[in-house]
Amino acid sequence: MKYSNYFKSVLVAILISLPLSVKANDVTIVLSEELDIVDPCEASRSNIGRVIAQNVSETITELVPGKGLQPRLAESWEDQGNGTWRFNLRKGVLFSDGSAFDAEDVAHSLKRIKSDQLSCEIGIKYFGGIEISTNIIDAHTIDITANPAQPILPLLMSVVTAMRSTEPMDKYVNSPVGTGPYTFDQYLRGMQINLSANTNYWGGSSAVKSAKYIFRSDSSVRAAMVSTGEADIATNIALQDATNAGTDFSYPNSETLYLRVDNEVAPTNDVRIRRALNHAVDREAFIGTILANGTIPATGMTPPSTIGYNHDLRPFSFDPKKAKELIAQAKADGVPVEKEIRLIGRTNNFANVQETMEALQAMLQDVGFNVKLEMYEVAEWLDLYSKPYAADRGPIIVEAMHDNANGDPVFSMFFKYATGGAQSGRDDLKLDKMIADATAATGAKREAMWKNTMAYIHDEAVIDILLFHMVGFSRVNERLDFIPTIKTNSELQLSQISFK
Amino acid sequence: MTNFLIKRAVTSALSLFILVVLVFFLIRLTGDPASLFLPLDASEEAKEKFRDLNGLNDPILHQFFQYFSDLIRLDFGISLRRAEPAIDSVLRGFKWTLQLAAITMSLVASLAIIIGSIAAFRVGGFFDRIVTFFSLIGASAPDFWIAIVAIVVFSVGLGWLPTSGTGTIFHWVLPISVLFIRPFGLILQVVRGSMLNVLNAGYIKTARAKGVKDTPIVFVHGLRNAMLPVVTVIGDQAAGILNGAVIVETIFGFPGVGKLMIDSILQRDFAVVLASIIITAVAIFVMNILIDIIYAILDPRIRY
Repeated sequence: MKYSNYFKSVLVAILISLPLSVKANDVTIVLSEELDIVDPCEASRSNIGRVIAQNVSETITELVPGKGLQPRLAESWEDQGNGTWRFNLRKGVLFSDGSAFDAEDVAHSLKRIKSDQLSCEIGIKYFGGIEISTNIIDAHTIDITANPAQPILPLLMSVVTAMRSTEPMDKYVNSPVGTGPYTFDQYLRGMQINLSANTNYWGGSSAVKSAKYIFRSDSSVRAAMVSTGEADIATNIALQDATNAGTDFSYPNSETLYLRVDNEVAPTNDVRIRRALNHAVDREAFIGTILANGTIPATGMTPPSTIGYNHDLRPFSFDPKKAKELIAQAKADGVPVEKEIRLIGRTNNFANVQETMEALQAMLQDVGFNVKLEMYEVAEWLDLYSKPYAADRGPIIVEAMHDNANGDPVFSMFFKYATGGAQSGRDDLKLDKMIADATAATGAKREAMWKNTMAYIHDEAVIDILLFHMVGFSRVNERLDFIPTIKTNSELQLSQISFK
Repeated sequence: MTNFLIKRAVTSALSLFILVVLVFFLIRLTGDPASLFLPLDASEEAKEKFRDLNGLNDPILHQFFQYFSDLIRLDFGISLRRAEPAIDSVLRGFKWTLQLAAITMSLVASLAIIIGSIAAFRVGGFFDRIVTFFSLIGASAPDFWIAIVAIVVFSVGLGWLPTSGTGTIFHWVLPISVLFIRPFGLILQVVRGSMLNVLNAGYIKTARAKGVKDTPIVFVHGLRNAMLPVVTVIGDQAAGILNGAVIVETIFGFPGVGKLMIDSILQRDFAVVLASIIITAVAIFVMNILIDIIYAILDPRIRY
């Protein structure tokens, strides 16, 4: 009897400790990195955005792949001229704590992302150098003025997450309250985040009633968790782990891989050398081998779905003979083609980055370039990638990936190509003007101007070595009806998930 | 003994001070947190603002004295990344690492001592050969490979155990098993070697001649005298795990201090790096003092 009680106790203890079965309307999402900050003003950072953006905190407008800019918390907007746009806000929207959403919250959110006491990424990344002022017309109408004027202000508002006007200006929030379809219930740091359906949500209910986010940095573990049923969605799985055609989805992930070439230092300041560099790279050889099938050779810095992407441009052909001829021509004109060129790569930047960089080095060496490969972790790499550049740097080519899921080249072009751009390798007044003009233009004119700018960068000035528009992989449990898109890189809307 | 403990505490505090000074200055040579924290496109003005806000523009000596005066009040600073006290992040992680280390090392020590002693007693026999073979494999197999294979076999293939996480006792089985293998193989070999020396000593032969049975010869007369090098190696291995079982924590999603420390170094989150190092260093100093005390208990000839 004594022993039987003992065994019963042990059995009960084991059963209690067994994982609880997954409820039909719950999802578990395994992410590749833990969230450090959960403040919605940081939601443009992809790891934070996947949990917070449009789930907990909604944006004023929303960029929807294939549909363009759509209403979200603002129902409509119109240009008032002189850099001012009027936004008509949705009525009847409540924050998850029951307080009403109004124009005061929008004004506060805009002020907060630019707060001196915080370092909100949305403010720094999208509103750097722009002064924003607001004029509240009534509870649901607000005029927003940008100085200098921003023709794409409604698009910029697609990254602004609405927060309560009571949120502090000097402190990040640890438990965000938003208007989104889910409430932020709990963050067990290092372990998980729990969201549940917001009963106050203006947009009605969704199939997913609660979500748990967990963090595993190893891709094979994330993929295995979906295979075993421990998780429903695993983001960012590596090419070699995407082995199940039934559950593994590839999608353009809005990242463009390129080599930033220094246009100001010999020999790479000679356009013939930059052409030779481009002709030396066999882009097709990477696809389906060390990079995933579906990877697209790039002719622009932004994804092909961006407005103004120039679809008429063709990637440089792989032509070692032509590359050698161009090098010989440059050499004959006194260009120091034998000079060592440092090829800088960033460790862990993407799956197979080391192999990719070694292959690129070999291709460049094959046509006669004196290339030395150096791989650096992110902090050292940043010193080489971003300005100020060292005066005695010598010729340098830096591998980088650029993410633009925001639908407009303006978020890329200045930083990557303008003379004052933080990662630009070229000082070119003509290009500066092209970028400034396209930035200020609207509609079809804007699209045409960006197309011309991209043609100039790729075909005429040959500023860098554009390589690939990358694809990402996510593993999705078969019980879900969900297909990842280009936006999955930056947000993962639970309300778009349903069950089979 | 009291004098010894005071002396050890003072020398440990001095070592800790030197460690903190070195880490404080060296980590500041490795890069600018503003470039890592802010987006790539951040203007120099935004970076300056960030540095001002976080005291990174102050003269380095001023930063050091400020840090040290806060540290004396047990204020370890605020994590740049997590916007919370650095010590909160570290203690949260250390709790997991400590549990992992305590359970693993208890299992390792008890099993390695028993099995190693038996192997030494039957040296050259079938059991000894099998044990030596597998312990050498264990001592040399890479953690990350064993961890991935274990997940593939026991979680994905057989479905017996969860892949990762911390929710139930079943979640602990794979991480502890993987963490167990290497120190177990190493300590078992040390126990075996040490026991082989002891079992050939004169007092063991005398005990045998007097008709003492095998079990007391091995586990009473032999083991106590063979334990000194074993305790040293156990301490060394435990210190390794306390420093953070980074591979196991990373693969199995254990929120321990090792992964936190590596992440913080990569992100240049200075306050968390320093707090992690101070806490683990203190733990290791305490453990070393305990090991010294165990030496004295095991061998009465050792006097402090």
